[in-house]
Amino acid sequence: MSTGGLAQFQQVFIEESLEGLDTMESSLLALDEGGDGELVHTIFRAAHSIKGGAATFGFPEMASFTHEAESLLDEVRGGKRAIDKPIIELLLRSVDCLRGMFDRARAGQPLNDSASDGVRGELAAMMGRAAPAGTTPARRAGDQAEAWIIRFHPHAGMLAGGNDPLRLIRELAGLGELAVEADLARLPALARLDPSECHLGWSIELKAPARREDIAAVFDWVVDECDLSIEPKPSAAVTPAAAPAPASLADAAAARGTREANAESSSVRVAIDKIDGLINLVGELVITQAMLDTFREEFDPSRLALLQQGLTQLARHARELQESVMGIRMLPIASVFNRFPRLVRDLSQKLGKQVRLELHGEQTELDKTVLEKIGDPMVHLVRNAIDHGLETPDRRRAAGKGETGTLKLDAYHRGGYIVVEVSDDGAGLNREAIVRKAVERGLISGGEGMSDEAVAELIFQPGFSTAAVTTDLSGRGVGMDVVRRNVSDLGGTVTIRSKAGQGSVFTITLPLTLAIIDGLTAAVGEECYIVPLVSIVESVQLKPEALKTMPGGGELFRFRGEYLPVLRLHELFGCTGAKRAIEDGLLIVVEGDGGRVGLFVDGLVGQQQAVVKSLEANYRRVQGVSGATILADGSVALIVDVAGVTRLGRRSKAA
Amino acid sequence: MGSKREHRAPATVEIGLPADCRMAAQTALLADLLVALDAPATQLDGRAVERVDTAALQLLTLFRREALSRGCAVSWRGASATLREAADTLGLAKALDLPAAMPA
Repeated sequence: MSTGGLAQFQQVFIEESLEGLDTMESSLLALDEGGDGELVHTIFRAAHSIKGGAATFGFPEMASFTHEAESLLDEVRGGKRAIDKPIIELLLRSVDCLRGMFDRARAGQPLNDSASDGVRGELAAMMGRAAPAGTTPARRAGDQAEAWIIRFHPHAGMLAGGNDPLRLIRELAGLGELAVEADLARLPALARLDPSECHLGWSIELKAPARREDIAAVFDWVVDECDLSIEPKPSAAVTPAAAPAPASLADAAAARGTREANAESSSVRVAIDKIDGLINLVGELVITQAMLDTFREEFDPSRLALLQQGLTQLARHARELQESVMGIRMLPIASVFNRFPRLVRDLSQKLGKQVRLELHGEQTELDKTVLEKIGDPMVHLVRNAIDHGLETPDRRRAAGKGETGTLKLDAYHRGGYIVVEVSDDGAGLNREAIVRKAVERGLISGGEGMSDEAVAELIFQPGFSTAAVTTDLSGRGVGMDVVRRNVSDLGGTVTIRSKAGQGSVFTITLPLTLAIIDGLTAAVGEECYIVPLVSIVESVQLKPEALKTMPGGGELFRFRGEYLPVLRLHELFGCTGAKRAIEDGLLIVVEGDGGRVGLFVDGLVGQQQAVVKSLEANYRRVQGVSGATILADGSVALIVDVAGVTRLGRRSKAA
Repeated sequence: MGSKREHRAPATVEIGLPADCRMAAQTALLADLLVALDAPATQLDGRAVERVDTAALQLLTLFRREALSRGCAVSWRGASATLREAADTLGLAKALDLPAAMPA
């Protein structure tokens, strides 16, 4: 039935509805914290619009689902029922179900699933019972059973993320006796096996009474990395109508985080004033062009000043136009921040910690592509901060701090960059534990004399990925190396500052956009290379005696108390005609891939903004080069991939 | 099924599993196991295993299944308690045919 025209409207409906769901969720969370009654109306209106739209645009299942939620809200709105925690929880889960339905609508799949059927049943049950205002409804259907069947199929990537089914099933065994059956059907041939991928699945019977939430809680951290169903064992179910309910709230929030990050939508909604600004600028540009045009007919040297003025104007308009066009891709970081209140609420409840979340700078804008990819690393950092950083209320009290920990997310502009900070006032990094682990892994020989920064830097080493660093409590230390890699893929950096007993601050620095970078143009022989400004620490000129040559041929120089390797770009890239004597050229000290190196170049030509052209799309992938740009004289300059070059240099020295 | 140690012929490949038999060790182990697939018999030694994860057990399960399907024998020289506990937890004890208890 969906004609092309309707499909187009469906898309708009879905986008608008997802925004409506965000509103519902944030309002529900605000209500949970004692917000005013007006919020109920906001939630009701959002649900009502979704219901109406769903019916109009051919999603009857969604309309009937929303109808249930709306009816419940209507009772609350009309004062027939007091809003309480169970209602808020159920409505939050309804929001999750609706998000799932919209995802499936986009993918053209059937809208209902076991989770939505379950929640719909619970909504109906709550209505049917028509509990008098103010009383908490009895236990919901499907919450408890005498025995459970859990089907658990991890996605291939789950192991690489540091989550081990072995640990999960062990944890599950804490709830009661298990009968575990492994499903080997999906195992590939040995020769084709990537050992880091999981191809096993499990069907697990829990032979003890348990609450669904407790089972779901075991899988909280992996719900977005596996297919999971939790069903009462048929003969033993307390309520036969009990529908397979969703995993717990924290699951859903985490799942949503990933879903949002993965669903990179291909359209962008632009504020009308941005469009108006563009039109204005184009108008200005046309006027300037008309003014310059007059010089074509007759050029009188006396009008030179006017010509110069016109050209200056042209340059200014072109720059403004460029900024405005880039601005269309810029969206406030609020869309990423908004997923955290829910995540923090659910996680802190689960871990028995009291966390106050502070958000600052939600209106800071950054490139849509960057925005879509920054979500996952931030989720990692926030999870780590709550799990490892912030202490339990008792420990906080013992340390002389308030019982409630503070987790702060902050975004702001600094220079041409966006800085995103995740900070907590928890225990800080455990220096001894990190040093011990690093020694165990052979990364360092001992911690004496290492600065706190150097020790903190160790957690970004790949060896630290799967083991807990600061506590062995949960063994869930999420790979900080993965966080760093994700951020450096976006051309950014992650740093950490930590003070024992006072907390940690993770700082992510990102370029405003991936399409344009600020860089220094460096001459190497007959070529020019662009070094991204974000990676540059400083540039120095060396005296010959400052250079030490290692037995293997590698060169080192002393920079602020540490020895850094020298990478000669002309050698790495095979440029001819370059300067060879160290005192003739310049060393650009850059930071990338967790270390600093000095790049030896002939000299600096200047600083400029480079419009990045993909080398991969136009030629092929070249190691050590992240892209190309066109210089003012029309020649092509390659953009140095600092992390890549560092790796390249390390390898050529090792060889 | 070649579950006990009847194949002590020179062609038996012996593979000792490392103490830390988790993800990081698996690329090397996989390479060893791929070589062992060509041998008529393989004896695995899991006595040293102190730490193990799902990836390791998946790899061993897959190896055993594939070796048996090729008619190669797979036996165990022993298995640490850790290894046996993990295999039990994951429901893979049968598929791996681990020895019931570690020889003293």
